[in-house]
Amino acid sequence: MEFKEVVGRRRSIRFFEPDKPVEREKIQVILETARLASCAVNAHWLRAIVVERDKIPPEKLSQLKTPVAALTLDLAPVHIYFFCDLGVVNRIKGSRLRELVDAGALAPTHGWSHKFVDDFVYPQILEPMTKNLQGYLAAAMADAGGAAQNALLAAFDEGLGACLNTPNPMLTKQVFGVPDDWISLWVMVVGYPAESWEAGGQRPRPPFEELYFEGEYGKPFKRDPAVVEKLKQAKMIQAPAPLPGRREEIRKLAERLGLPE
Amino acid sequence: MALGKPIRDYAAVQVWIQGLTEQWGEAPSDMGARLAVLERFCDFVERDPDSLIQECSREVEGGKRIRIKARRLYSEKIAEFQSSVEGDARSQGRAGNTIRSFLIHNGIFMQAGVQS
Repeated sequence: MEFKEVVGRRRSIRFFEPDKPVEREKIQVILETARLASCAVNAHWLRAIVVERDKIPPEKLSQLKTPVAALTLDLAPVHIYFFCDLGVVNRIKGSRLRELVDAGALAPTHGWSHKFVDDFVYPQILEPMTKNLQGYLAAAMADAGGAAQNALLAAFDEGLGACLNTPNPMLTKQVFGVPDDWISLWVMVVGYPAESWEAGGQRPRPPFEELYFEGEYGKPFKRDPAVVEKLKQAKMIQAPAPLPGRREEIRKLAERLGLPE
Repeated sequence: MALGKPIRDYAAVQVWIQGLTEQWGEAPSDMGARLAVLERFCDFVERDPDSLIQECSREVEGGKRIRIKARRLYSEKIAEFQSSVEGDARSQGRAGNTIRSFLIHNGIFMQAGVQS
């Protein structure tokens, strides 16, 4: 699928074919895509634990259910638990940034050198940053979010459906026995959609001009209708929700899967 | 326990009927079977519809909160109730889901998983 179409087709899918397994290869594709996400100082905070719903002991699965995510955990055959590894920066001590210098990604043209990384970046910037938990958490989680978004898009590119939910952080850490410095982020439920791929249409978004500005705050970035039209042609901007027949679709799914109306 | 007034007259039932009408376009006159199931459940737990909803939520500063313990209790009561209903697993699940729907449309978020 073309990139723009993948972006356009992504929806939070909440109805899955419970008995249609997801190919292991597709899960690997999702993880590979997360690994290639842009990442500050090449630290790579995102960690993931992949769980096959039918292979995890039922008591553990039940522990992982939250009031809001219980049903999607039941329906989706694969659950990917994302964590943020806060310890990574102090373990690698700038070494991956050094790799970027070696790889020619960071060059003297932009002020970078091994010496700068070794003498300044880690000891003067990164290590102190990890001691300011509030700022450090925000930075690490923003990066992890970007990687998780890559993973989400990959799932749709593979013809799957997916949705990010928030698990209970304490229970998640307990169930999987992760290191103390890992923070629980999201669980991405993955499976083949039981609803149509359109899932009722593209979800409502705030107006473009309300979100983006040009040059200064308060001056909206002008939206060019020709670009919008081009994106419609490329299937990135799609018919907005609710599409006709969505309620009937939900009702049929409720009947088929035995869910309340 | 017999209800003190017709089931449709309870405020929580009116909220439910309105919710079903808005969500599914169902006519209130078509809801007789659902109301009968709710009435049986009320008898089962010895509560009227309004008390059920009141027990599951509480007023706090700035709005309402769901009472987690009460919701858990009623989730268990629904499971008990549905297994007491005559018929196959599907019709039992349907009966349970009718009560869940009543709670959900009254703002008591709950998920029970696939009922088949």
